[in-house]
Amino acid sequence: MNSGGLGELIAVQAASTYSRDRCVTGIHGLDEILRGGIPYGSTVLASGTCGSGKTTLGMEFLVRGALAGEACAHFTATEPSVKLLENIRQYAFFDMNMVDTGLINVFDMDVLYSWLGLDKSTFDLDDVHALIKSITDIVNTIGVTRLVIDSVTTLCYKIKSEQLIRDFLFTLGKKLATLGCTTILISEITSATENAHWSSFGVEEAIADGIVVMGDVERMGHLLRFLQVVKMRGTAHSRAKHAIELTPLGVMLTPMLKWGAQSDKASRWGA
Amino acid sequence: MMFELDQRIAEQLSTISLNSSVQVRCGNSNAFMVTASTMLPLMQMFEMGGVYISASRGAVEIIQAFESIGVDVSNIQFIDLVSSGILGGTDVNYPNIHFVDSPIMLESVLLRTLYILRTTNTQRNFVFLDSVNALAIYNEDRMLAEYLHTFINTFRQREVLSVILNVPDQTPPLVLSNLDLYCTDLVDRGQVVIH
Amino acid sequence: MRKNITFDQEDEDFFGQVGSFGVPKFDNEMHGGVPRGFTMVAFTETGSGAELFAKQFISPAEESENTLYISTNEAQPEIVRVFNKYGWPLDVNVRTIGEEYNANVLEKELLASRYRLEGFRLEDIQRLAQTRFVEDSTQDYLTEVTNEIMALGPYFRAGIDSLDFFLQRDDPGRVVAMIRMLQAHTQMYRGLLLIMVSVNGLPASVRQELSSIADMVLTFGVRTIGSDFETSMIVSKFRNAPENLKMLVFRVTPEEGITPETVERIA
Repeated sequence: MNSGGLGELIAVQAASTYSRDRCVTGIHGLDEILRGGIPYGSTVLASGTCGSGKTTLGMEFLVRGALAGEACAHFTATEPSVKLLENIRQYAFFDMNMVDTGLINVFDMDVLYSWLGLDKSTFDLDDVHALIKSITDIVNTIGVTRLVIDSVTTLCYKIKSEQLIRDFLFTLGKKLATLGCTTILISEITSATENAHWSSFGVEEAIADGIVVMGDVERMGHLLRFLQVVKMRGTAHSRAKHAIELTPLGVMLTPMLKWGAQSDKASRWGA
Repeated sequence: MMFELDQRIAEQLSTISLNSSVQVRCGNSNAFMVTASTMLPLMQMFEMGGVYISASRGAVEIIQAFESIGVDVSNIQFIDLVSSGILGGTDVNYPNIHFVDSPIMLESVLLRTLYILRTTNTQRNFVFLDSVNALAIYNEDRMLAEYLHTFINTFRQREVLSVILNVPDQTPPLVLSNLDLYCTDLVDRGQVVIH
Repeated sequence: MRKNITFDQEDEDFFGQVGSFGVPKFDNEMHGGVPRGFTMVAFTETGSGAELFAKQFISPAEESENTLYISTNEAQPEIVRVFNKYGWPLDVNVRTIGEEYNANVLEKELLASRYRLEGFRLEDIQRLAQTRFVEDSTQDYLTEVTNEIMALGPYFRAGIDSLDFFLQRDDPGRVVAMIRMLQAHTQMYRGLLLIMVSVNGLPASVRQELSSIADMVLTFGVRTIGSDFETSMIVSKFRNAPENLKMLVFRVTPEEGITPETVERIA
């Protein structure tokens, strides 16, 4: 093989194609789907039904970052951080030292609310701004490059107007991008079928740079977990459904069989 | 107990490489003899580790069959697709048995195999699929053909020898033709009856 | 589980069957004072002088260490000022819950506004990352007060001014249950307990319940006559002594505090 020719070919390609720097997730299979990783500073919505592995995916994203020496932050609104850490300990990739040394910082949203005096059931504009400021403050002060908010649905339930939710997510995403922080917003959805929304409030999906949907495919009475990258600005990516398995080594992905990628019900009823 | 292995299978296996995929054809009556004649040289002659996917029988039964002929398979990891369908079937004492809920969860089988291969210490590994016919009971022809295609290519790419057990006269034609097409080697004991 | 308490004859002689209200003229009208073991509930109107009555009730303080005044509205210096003014003993136990509550809430609010304005400092973030639970800001004052009164010994004297604080923050049913417990304790220990509660916004059912638990019910009122205010107290319940049911018009003098002037029998 003429290696010189090949080298030239690569040089031509590199000059003509621009590719954004990537946040290499380190999650088995995901970087392949994303052709190298999530473009830096993106806000990615990870939408999934309950038990679909969203929290594990989010936590592994942080742990892989911590393993590479990045500072990571996790805001938990769905379960207390104590429980979260206890659940995540079963994974071989997690080491409590990452928390002790400050590489992984877990924040309870309830505590954050209390510190900010956000004890009320509904947040107004001022409260939303206080929340954005405190999150960006944290990211900025400790130099966070990977952030997970679990879940943005629980958080947004306190924001009553759709416009305010939009403002909140848009402003937060913009500020985090400026700080070079790649963010995963976990979103809880009730259905991950073809006709479903990818977010609870409808606005998150429009604002996010990327959408990763997680759910179950029912095959002859068994639920198979799947992950599908629906959108990712700034990169080409596979849009196929991938089967996922939550192993002690973390999330593992493989393309889902084309002849078995649709739920029985969906194919039967043509939904 | 006297158990005669088919030595010619060992001879044939000695010519293959790690990125091969071998279709092993057997008949209804000689399945275990063919299985053992394939597995033993891999484990003992070539010192390979590996994963045994048992879809036709529970893993315990297979392990005990090997034990009855004096073969230790404790360093082979078993993925059992049968026992989860039997209440209490997963209550076993073998640490080298992993369970997947059902033979229809083909992707899970693949991922579990890859997971085991990631955690194993052996340099050279095989994946033994027992058997296409058992998977064909539960899975639609097109999906199974697609799966075998992915299965073979996945392990070939990773330099893991794949061995696929098949009783050809009971295999759906679509699956069989695809298997014939994708596999690099064929060990055919489908029609041969030894003594 | 009933506790048996034996009372020393010497103590009995010292404390007597009745204790003073702290208002000599009122003691006279009530045939000597308030029987030991009584729980009194006073329903009050704003500006009726009830706050002063509550403090005056504390002033006899037969044993200062066994005397407790719980105020939910006033701060310590204000109470000390009133006690000084009338020359009442200052060595009684005083707990100012309103002050404690405000301090807690204000401190939290102050900190929250600092975080909101100035943002988090590194040490704040480190502490936030280590804080796993919301600090319990909802201190249970009701239980604390109950326990504090229950811890007082025989012949105690205690006043709560006022119950409104608890009724606004707790389930009224729980507050009433606490009063029931305190009434039993007061009776058993021959103590004297005065509970002030504002009539404004008080649900009729709670008023009814409190009246039925109390051994003595007082109502403090105020009305205007011409350009003057007339303050009065009505004794509408006095267990086992209906002859004590009266309406007393009183005024506040610099020497004696609450001073009944005219008396009307109402039963």
